[in-house]
Amino acid sequence: MKSKAWYILINILFLIFLFWYVLPIYVMVITSLKTPLEITQRTYLFLGGAPHFENYLQAFKLSYKSLINSSIITVVATAVSTFLGGLGGYFLSRFKWRISKPLFVLIVIGMFIPYQAVLIPLVQLMAATKLALTYAGLIFSYIILNVPTAATLMGTFFFSIPKELEESAEVDGASKTQIFFRIITPVAAPAYISTAIMIFTQIWNEFLVALTLSTPYTMPITVKLAEIKGSYVALYNLQMAATLISSLIPLLFFLLLQKYFIRGALAGALKG
Amino acid sequence: MVSLGIGVKKEKKRRFRVSISEILIFLLPLIFFTVILYLMVGWTFYISFSNWEGVSPKYEFAGLKWYKLMFNLSRFHIDVRNNLTWLLLGVFPTLLIAIFLAYFLEIGGFKKGESLIRTLILYPASMSFIVTGTIWSWMYQPDKGVINTLLRLLHLDFLQSKFVTDQATANYWLILIFIWQYLGFAVIILQASMRTTELQEMVEAAIIDGASKLDILFRIILPNIRGGILILLSLLLISALKVFDIVYIVTFGGPGYSTDVLAFFMYIATFQQHLVALGAGLAVIIFLIAFIIIIPYTIYAMKRWFA
Repeated sequence: MKSKAWYILINILFLIFLFWYVLPIYVMVITSLKTPLEITQRTYLFLGGAPHFENYLQAFKLSYKSLINSSIITVVATAVSTFLGGLGGYFLSRFKWRISKPLFVLIVIGMFIPYQAVLIPLVQLMAATKLALTYAGLIFSYIILNVPTAATLMGTFFFSIPKELEESAEVDGASKTQIFFRIITPVAAPAYISTAIMIFTQIWNEFLVALTLSTPYTMPITVKLAEIKGSYVALYNLQMAATLISSLIPLLFFLLLQKYFIRGALAGALKG
Repeated sequence: MVSLGIGVKKEKKRRFRVSISEILIFLLPLIFFTVILYLMVGWTFYISFSNWEGVSPKYEFAGLKWYKLMFNLSRFHIDVRNNLTWLLLGVFPTLLIAIFLAYFLEIGGFKKGESLIRTLILYPASMSFIVTGTIWSWMYQPDKGVINTLLRLLHLDFLQSKFVTDQATANYWLILIFIWQYLGFAVIILQASMRTTELQEMVEAAIIDGASKLDILFRIILPNIRGGILILLSLLLISALKVFDIVYIVTFGGPGYSTDVLAFFMYIATFQQHLVALGAGLAVIIFLIAFIIIIPYTIYAMKRWFA
């Protein structure tokens, strides 16, 4: 009898749990397809009438410029940080030199420096160099903030690549640079994908630096969404449509490339 | 070209000749950006001792003036308390639920639905706090929002809440969003640390010996995944400390200062009140707490890299 009660209890807990995770995303989709009137009429969890796809059109009109901005900023910053992180991570995982240890400590801590601790100088730097007026401001900021993460993630992956591969090339007289680009990089392609996905998601979703440094011309999607939420307070249908649009790209990455996403997350937890 | 020998890990006898120019290719970009990063942190420290108030920079030395002011502000004390609540209630419940979930998924015979459940609890990790904050604002909306409407539908009116508009509990509802968003992440990290062959063998042996499921969890698994728990704890603590986006998008620190946190105050002080020295001081406090939190992580990482 005791085990049956347990079984029921666990199943109930489990159902509540599922509900907790399904409801928000379900509500987001359903609300985004209603009219404001249908929302206030409390049609609860179902569509009140025909789905109103024009909400998406309106949300897209409001946010497409920011989607483009975010895409440019995120793609460039991700590519550069991942590439430079790959170089640095390779050094850290293969060479034991006097500065390796202190550098490693600085980089690991650098991964977790709260953005608040660099925000004021960052704004000053971007204003002084006039980079803040263009995409370059946010791109450069995100590279500074993400190179340590990329180096740590890539380094963790390089550790799992057997050294024999390089040693035979070494005997053949190849230089370290040649070995890295010709032998290691192709083998490490999945690691690059994982690291790039992690950093892409991080930059696409970043808010504090984006909020502080963006101009009307460079405004990324997170800042735009916050603005839409603030200016269309009662229009939950529009808010939810914009929410869905702005989370679509990282969500698709996650759903389609989940294996890489998880590997990246685990590498950050030193379990690459 | 200058050459120097660099010992490859664990092989002190064999030295490969690596030229300086090659070291520079690998190392220079990393060093360049790391140096900028730390110079900026140093600059923040410096500004916190300056007298910068207003829009244009003023660098004259003001000593501890702004720190003294900060420690006397009641808003600062509220923020520290709220941040501590975040650290406690955002992190430990997440860790606890994640331990049980990881155990169920990895060992407790829940294997069938594993990938579905994993996808379901991990998808919020790919979204920004601005996205999840906007969704949960609508869930929590007290008048016609989702949760209260559902409760009325189920005739559970007494369970209705004012959620984030209620001064007494607003902070907890924000923390719940954080738990919701980080749980999947916590589960996959713990699952990975349970996935060692030694541990699997020990669990199998214990099952044969007839140990109960709880015994296996507390006596065998937990002591063997201490490393994973330590790492996860550091990551969760640091994320809970840095929380800014959720507060900004859902409550903007209100009602009153009930959901205000250090990171949010730092932003307001610096960019809205233009008390830049005060903002820098708050940033220094956040940095120092983060630094303390990350020490165990760094030591663990060092051991793994330079073993």
